[in-house]
Amino acid sequence: MAEHIGVKDIAQLDSRTLGVRWSDGRESRYDVVDLRRRCPCAECVEEWTRKPLLNPEDVPETVRPQRIQSVGRYALQIQFSDGHSTGIYTYEMLRELG
Amino acid sequence: MGFFRKKGSSAKDEPKATASPPATSSPATDSGPAGTEERIREALKAVQDPDLHKDIVTLGFVKAIEVLDKEARVVIELTTPACPVKDQLKAQAEQVIMAVAGIEKATVTMTAQTVAAARGGKEDATKEALAGVRNIIAVASGKGGVGKSTTTVNLAFALARQGARVGLMDADIYGPSIPLMTGVGKPTEVDGKMVIPPQVDGIKIISVAMFMEEGKASILRGPMTAQIIQQFLTQIKWGDLDYLLIDYPPGTGDIQLTLSQMCPVSGAVIVTTPQEVSLIDVRKAVNMFGTMKVPVLGVIENMSYFICDGCEKKHHIFREGGGRRVAAENGLPVLGEIPLEPAIAKAGDEGHVIGGESVGTGVHTAWTEAAGKVASQVSILNMNEAGAADFSLEWKD
Repeated sequence: MAEHIGVKDIAQLDSRTLGVRWSDGRESRYDVVDLRRRCPCAECVEEWTRKPLLNPEDVPETVRPQRIQSVGRYALQIQFSDGHSTGIYTYEMLRELG
Repeated sequence: MGFFRKKGSSAKDEPKATASPPATSSPATDSGPAGTEERIREALKAVQDPDLHKDIVTLGFVKAIEVLDKEARVVIELTTPACPVKDQLKAQAEQVIMAVAGIEKATVTMTAQTVAAARGGKEDATKEALAGVRNIIAVASGKGGVGKSTTTVNLAFALARQGARVGLMDADIYGPSIPLMTGVGKPTEVDGKMVIPPQVDGIKIISVAMFMEEGKASILRGPMTAQIIQQFLTQIKWGDLDYLLIDYPPGTGDIQLTLSQMCPVSGAVIVTTPQEVSLIDVRKAVNMFGTMKVPVLGVIENMSYFICDGCEKKHHIFREGGGRRVAAENGLPVLGEIPLEPAIAKAGDEGHVIGGESVGTGVHTAWTEAAGKVASQVSILNMNEAGAADFSLEWKD
């Protein structure tokens, strides 16, 4: 069976850091404002060209998640305080970032 | 909305205010309409959402505040239009606004978030409905006509014969055939909002066909199918099950993605026939589940061979070993090679499953073995659990 690396656990480490514990034991830390700026959804990144449509400067430093939840077994969905929640952060993407 | 937008605070700016903790919000000033709006915002912080245990300003529910002379107009957006405390929140909001100096009339408009934004809450319902289900197994194929529904039904019955509690969800919205194959009736009982699935030989069965008019083609657009699937995942009382088998629609499109997104599938079984054209589609299906990080349990090759009654020899009518080749290529186990057997088709058409009368025949043995392999792959998977499914985190300010 193909190996899938999943998430064991997620936690809020401080006011703006998300911690992820992976099934292979690795631990990653993510700045939530940075995650908002890297939102991979079609509103923020052009679907075909992958050109960024979101100007990182438009995302205020004060943006925070309100709720983070799993999507199937492959991604996290983050509902941000600016009302944005369409980004599906795949584990693959998160592994590359952290 | 434009009408309610006040100067200096576009709708876009609004949520930013909610991100900052209450302590840092600007102190109310006494002069001018802007000051009154600020005082109304402060006053609205006294209104708590009883479910979320936070005030409606911090939650970002207050979308607009506008003051015209002595009248205050406020728009409050809730997470769902069916919010049980809507009237209560509205009354409270009106009350606190009226208490603000200089306000003699309060107009509070209640709106609700869009479906996409509110999805978080719905997934909780999925969790609740599937709470008693230990393993969810997707039965899928890259293309139609390979015997996917036949496989789902026979696996379900074989697992049940081995003593497991089994449920069967026919999610093949394009051609739901499980009711015909099992002879199951329509659901007749409900428990509150939840539908109780009818049973055949102790197997709980729900099919898209139960909710469609017989003989009518199912012409369903994307959003409708997603809605049906959503209801299947939230409004069926499955109870305690060892296995819930989901008969996926054939192919690798939107609806298959939706299914894998909305429910925590433990693993997928991929059904194929031995021909190369069919195998190309297997690769697509394997890739799709790979993308969704749903572990593929293995491959079942249907219509593998035919044993004629004259010579007892296995005739590989199509090609030999296609399923094995594609499984090896993807590092997957072969879970079964099912013979082409007229009795399967006959039984399916007549609304019963190959059962007691065929014990000892090749096809019966093949299904029993396949079910055993599926069960053992699921246990292996559970032993080295690749990670948690179904979790959420509320962020604290």
